[in-house]
Order: sequence, then structure tokens, then C-alpha cells
Amino acid sequence: MMNTLPFYQSQGSEAELFERAWRNKLPLLIKGPTGCGKTRFVTHMASKLGLPLHTVACHDDLTAADLVGRHLIVDGQTVWSDGPLTRAVREGGICYLDEVVEARKDTTVVLHPLADDRRILPIDRTGEMLVAPPSFMLVVSYNPGYQNFLKGLKPSTRQRFISLAFDFPNAAQEVTILMGETGIDEMLAKRLVSIAHALRSLRDHDLEEVASTRLLVYAATLIKDGCESTLACSAALVETLTDDPETAIALREVINATFGQ
Amino acid sequence: MEEYVGELWHRLVTRTADKQYVDAAVSLDEISKVAAIFFRALGGDSGLNLSAAAPTRHGARRSWKERMASSGERIELSWRDGETLRLPETIALFPERNLNRDLYLWLVALSAANVDDSLPWIVRNQAATQVTLMRFPGLASKYYRLIDMLLPMRVRPESLSSAEAAQETAIREALMKPGSILTLPPSKIAFQPVPLWMHPNPPESKNNKISPSDGAPESTEAEKENSAKSLRKHAAERAEMPDGKDGFLVMFRAESLFSWTEYINVNRPQDEEDDMKNAALAAEDMDSMTVARDSETSVAKLRFDLDLPPAGEDDTPLGEGISLPEWDYKKQILQVDYCRLQEFVSPQTQPCKLPIHLKSTARRLRSQFQALAPTRTWLRGQQDGDELDLDAWVRKEADLLSGNHADSRGTFCKQVHQQRDLACLLLADLSLSTDAYASESARVIDVISDSLFLFSEALCATGDRFAMYGFSSLRRANVRFNRLKSFDERYDDAVKGRIAAIKPGYYTRMGAAIRQATTILSKQKQSQRLLLLLTDGKPNDLDRYEGRYGIEDTRMALHQARQQGLRPFCVTIDREANEYLPHLFGAGGYAVIRKPDELPKELPLLYAQMTR
Repeated sequence: MMNTLPFYQSQGSEAELFERAWRNKLPLLIKGPTGCGKTRFVTHMASKLGLPLHTVACHDDLTAADLVGRHLIVDGQTVWSDGPLTRAVREGGICYLDEVVEARKDTTVVLHPLADDRRILPIDRTGEMLVAPPSFMLVVSYNPGYQNFLKGLKPSTRQRFISLAFDFPNAAQEVTILMGETGIDEMLAKRLVSIAHALRSLRDHDLEEVASTRLLVYAATLIKDGCESTLACSAALVETLTDDPETAIALREVINATFGQ
Repeated sequence: MEEYVGELWHRLVTRTADKQYVDAAVSLDEISKVAAIFFRALGGDSGLNLSAAAPTRHGARRSWKERMASSGERIELSWRDGETLRLPETIALFPERNLNRDLYLWLVALSAANVDDSLPWIVRNQAATQVTLMRFPGLASKYYRLIDMLLPMRVRPESLSSAEAAQETAIREALMKPGSILTLPPSKIAFQPVPLWMHPNPPESKNNKISPSDGAPESTEAEKENSAKSLRKHAAERAEMPDGKDGFLVMFRAESLFSWTEYINVNRPQDEEDDMKNAALAAEDMDSMTVARDSETSVAKLRFDLDLPPAGEDDTPLGEGISLPEWDYKKQILQVDYCRLQEFVSPQTQPCKLPIHLKSTARRLRSQFQALAPTRTWLRGQQDGDELDLDAWVRKEADLLSGNHADSRGTFCKQVHQQRDLACLLLADLSLSTDAYASESARVIDVISDSLFLFSEALCATGDRFAMYGFSSLRRANVRFNRLKSFDERYDDAVKGRIAAIKPGYYTRMGAAIRQATTILSKQKQSQRLLLLLTDGKPNDLDRYEGRYGIEDTRMALHQARQQGLRPFCVTIDREANEYLPHLFGAGGYAVIRKPDELPKELPLLYAQMTR
């Protein structure tokens, strides 16, 4: 992981901002639609700054203990085992909590003392008080698209972060990304991006989620592997985005309109 | 009405058009959803709605057969304006179905292309074709296949007079090589319509536009009154926009009659008048409901609407009727047995399925609401259970080792069902005001019935207990309480049939309805009981149940509901609701939906927010 820098196509000044945040010990919140490159960006930055990265994919049942650590039984003895957050603090690396809104609200509260100027992590179970070294950085991400229905980020949590909004890259950048990721030719990349743009204009109206860069990469990968292009798009884009048969027909027409039959 | 006339035309046109391949016809209905999404995906304005175009006289040469049958003189042209994309109602131009379907998609793609509207018609169409083919190269094969089929069908230039022939040649050239023709050679006889192109807004419609005041002089006054009315006005105004040259006057008239009835608001005699102040209050209310009082039509319509239906045709009454009190805020007393409420259930409604246009939303709601349904969860630290609770065990051991008192909790995990202990009664306002248009296409009552459908679908997914009632009233002796679904009924096709059959009734005696709903809901054993009121306006009825009196009675009824441990909540589409609802429901006790047509989607979401 440390040897080669993961491919990342910069969309603007986000890399610079990330570095500034890291230097000044500020925690960072990244928001953006799914598959627009949030995780890739963090991986890229961690690699660039030479920091160990601890990623936690948050979910409903994620407890504070899952983050901080717990006692395990070894040879009849209880042994404390660090969770990813504690490990990142000890090592002075980056702790990245992906889709942080998925975690229960009481779980995210353990982040509070780490995310303000105290930068400490008290571990209740062992009585330890960890002070984060200067190189430690807390990064969380979430997708504002589906947080409004049943979930949200507590304002008190939110206000401890500086925030970076991500969106899908513009057409030229997305073409570069597709070519860089999969090695397809420019013509094909352009067509895929034009399909993505067509589908993205259906956001909120006909589709709940729109074609992400990640899905485009999937489609491109299938095509690169020799898959017929409309079939690849149908599998990677149409069926992934909708369950409604009529919407699927319409989306397929868009793909046919681009690739022909 | 529009649909009906459209259908008549459609029948007329398809029957007489001998040139068309009826067997291979594709109708706009079957493709409309796909077409709409396709349009938006290709960059079309998502605010535009899609609708069928009325046939327009094209004035071009026809074959002798067509002339004899006096057919083929009209064609449904595709065109768009600021609000609507109009496509032919059916396309049966080609012998194969998929070609006709392709033609639809081609027209949609063409209309989604963003081309300078000021260009001459023929140049604009060629430019749009070029743009579309460039952006979506995959359409090229379809386009040229359509042209290959179309050209042999057109009258050959050789058989035409020279001017016409020049025109026809130019059109053919423009079709085959888009961008090649800059002007259309002039000719006295109109050229044959080009079904592959968008028509500019049919010029006839402009001459034919009837000023809105023509048919309904009084409406201008009403129009000024408030935004809600201008919305309805809008619905009436739009009706004449797309019309062709003749025959549509009738349609417009009818539309205008409809819109009249919306403005009606009823001369309200105060038969139990208390004092002049009260009368002034009522008059104030009437002002904001100015209507065509001189107009005989509206008065007649009014009387017809407001008579109670004869017993034979009325809904089936259930039981004797229930006496309910009413609060008089002036005297500060509860007038015992003041109202009579009758529970009805619609007889002989056809059981039906969920309306098709709601299906996809319903499916989405269901999957969202399944998240709210009772789920299995693990209870930790139990004395007994399916699995070991390692955390608890470790804690216990650690505590023992460190010399602390071990806590007495167990070390097992147990899986349980977590119950949602919730009952909800939805009370829908079915007063006459719901007959008004909420948007261009739907009346308030339609929006309400859609809302009831989606609400039921969503609640079925959660498994919460719910009941639905509608209400309206005509004076204190006739409060009509329409049972749509009781708590003990299943949400089945019969219930759906009742929802589909709801119709606007009389007035809004809210207090009595709320009291009855309270009685029903308070019998439920759930710990959380939600009384959800769906309405479009203030409480009102003929006998002084207006203004302050109605509001205060409703307030008292709600107060009593709260005392019974119920939680009332109001969802309204009345834009002025902020003036009186805080008084009734409290600041957080209501929601105003600004766009009525979003009510069906919003209502279940509101419910989810309230109950999670």
C-alpha cells in the first residue's frame, strides 16, 4: 500500500485542504454521494502523507467498544485489545469512519473528546487516557443523500469537524478517471460518461441514487474484459440503479441511444 | 373532460385513417413513463409534462381516397411549449410496432435537444437532429431506419407541381442530410407533415385562444383573491391552450363550468344567528370566497350539490347515529347532545387494486417502512438465552479478578421481537372544498385518496394498527363519518375500493369528527395513539360553525383528545394554515404541505418521522 500511490484524480483543492487540516490537527468530515471517490481520496492522502490508515465501515450495530476496544479472554486471563480508533490514536495514523451516520448516535459520542482541541481518548474499561500524537487525524464521511429519512448526524458531532463536500467529477475528469482505472480508450470513456450524465439528470425525479463513478468503473471494467457494451451497462448501471421495470426500459433506451443496437 | 374529448378524437382519427397500420399502433399511454424518463435523461426540462397532442389541420395534399373519406386532413403533431411536451396520442405510421415505438423515442430525443427557438422551423429541426445524433450516436441507426421507411410513404416530388416538388425535395434532403437545407422553398400548398420533426407551436392555437374572461366574467374578480384560487384558475386556463382550430370551444366551455363550481362558495345563511358581530364575522369569511352569485348555472349546480342524497342512493348508515356535544366558546359551556353524527360505509363499492400510478411509489415506501417494522434484536446480559454474552462474561470475570463485586446481570444473549406499540387513526376531510383543483391535473380529493392509498401501503409494511375515516357535515344534525377502514379490518381490496370511491361532501364540522375519532381511538390498547387529521382548510359549517366558533370547538375537541392520552397531529395543504393551526395543534403539532400534489408522498414520511 505504501509503495504505490493509489490513483486519484483531484477535483479541486481538496488535497491541499486535507493536508492543511492534518497539519493543524483538525478533524475532517467528507460528504458526498456514494461512489464519488471519498474513500479513494482518503486512501490516497494517507498514502501520500505516509500515515497508517484504519478504516471502519460503520453500521447499525457498531458499538463504542467496536471502536475503542474490548477485553478478550486469553488463557483464562482477560486481555485488552485495542479497537481501530485506539490503534490509530496510538500509532498516530488516520482513523477513517466510513458512512458515519450509519453508526448509532451514542457511538459517535466517543469521538467527541478526540475531535475537539483536547484530542484525547479516554478508555473507561482500562482507565487509560490516550493523548493523540500530532500526526493522528480523524476523518469521517457520509452520504447526505439518504441520511434525511431515518438518520442524521448529531449537530454536536457535526460541529467538531471541518467539512469537505464531494460531488461527481466533471466530465473531463471522469473520463480521465475511467481511463486511469481501467485502461479503456478515450472514446469509450466519453460515451460512458455521457450516459452517466444523462442518468444523473434523473436524480430525485426518477432515480433515488444516480450512476456513481464507481459504477462507471465497473461498467468500463466489464467492457475492457470483452463484455458487450450495452450488456455491461445494463448490468452495471441499469439494474443496479432501479428495480422498476419501466424505468429500466427507459434507462436501457438511453444506453442504446449512446451505443446503438 | 380533456381525456374524453381526446378519446373521441382518437377514435375518429384512427377509424378514418386508412393509411395507418392500426395493428402496429403504439399509444402514448403505454410508453409515456418510459418516454418521460428518456426525455429527462437526455437533458429535457424535468418540469415539462408529457401529454397527447390534439390533431391539427395540416392543409397539405391528400390522396383522393382520403379526400372522399374526408380523412387525413388532420394530423397529431408533436410540439412543445414552456409547460408541456405534446406527442401524438398514438403512432401507427409504420407497419412494425418497434418502428412506431422508435418514432416516439426519436421525437422525445429530438425535443430534449436544446436548440435556439428563434431559428426557422426547418433549420431548427435539422439542428436538433444534428445535436441529438452527435450526443447520442446510437440513435443514428434508428433515425436512418425510420427515414428509410418514411420516404417511400411520402408523395413523390415527380408527381407534384414544381413549387411543391422543390419543397418536397428540400424536405427529403433535410431529412437525409440534416443541416443541409437552410430555407424551405415557398409553395402555395402546404407540404406534407413530417412526422419525424417537431412542429412549431401550431399557429392556429394562437388565433383561437379564448381570453379567460370570455366565458366566465366573474372569475376575474375571484382570481385576485388569493394564490390558492389563482392555482385553480390556472387549471382552467390551461385547458384551452393546446386546442386546435375548431371543435374545442365546447371543451373549453365545459372546463370553464367546472372551474366555476370551484369558485362557488356557497351562500351561507346563518340560521342560528347570534348577533351582528357574528354576522360580520361570517361576512368577512364570505368575502374571501367571492363567487359568481349572479350566475344561474353556479347556483343551480350548488343546490344540486348540497342537497343530501335521497336515502336510497346514500351510503349505508351504520347504527342509529351518535349524539355528540359541542363547545360554545362564548358561553364557555359544552352543549350536550348538540350534534348528531352518523357513521356511514359506502355500499357496493367495487373492490379494487392499488391504482397503477401509485405502484412504484408504494413499493418504495414499503421497503422504506419495513425498516420501521418490528425487528429481532439481541438483548444482552440476560439470565437465560440462546447464546453466550461474551462481553458480559468478560466484564464479570474482570470485575471478579479485580476484586470488584460482580454485577448480577446474566451472561446470555436473547433474541426478541421489539414491538412497535402504536395505533393510528387517520381522519380525512371530505368537505366540498376538496373538489377544488390542487394542481393542474388533480383535485384535492384525488390527492387525498392517493395519500390514503400510500399511507395504508406504508403502514401495512410497518405492521402498525391503523384505521381511516373520512368526514363532512351539513349542519349539526348531519355529521357524516365515513368509515374507510376500521382498526379491525384488514387493508384489503374492499378497503381500497372504498378509498377509491371517496367523493367530496359538504362542510367541515371538525370538532364532532374529532370527538368521534377520539372515542374510537381511545378504545385501542396501544400505548402510543396518534390521531392524524388530513385537511385542506379551516373548520366550517352552515350553522354559525365558522370563524372563531368552529376553531374554538375544534380546539376543545383536540384538548379532550389529548386528555385521553392521544396525540393529535394535523397535515394540511391550506397555505394559510399557519394563521390558525398553531392555535389548534400547537407549534409542532401540524405540518403544511406547500405543494398539494406532494401530499401522497409526504404523508407517509411525516408518519415515519413522528413515530420512529
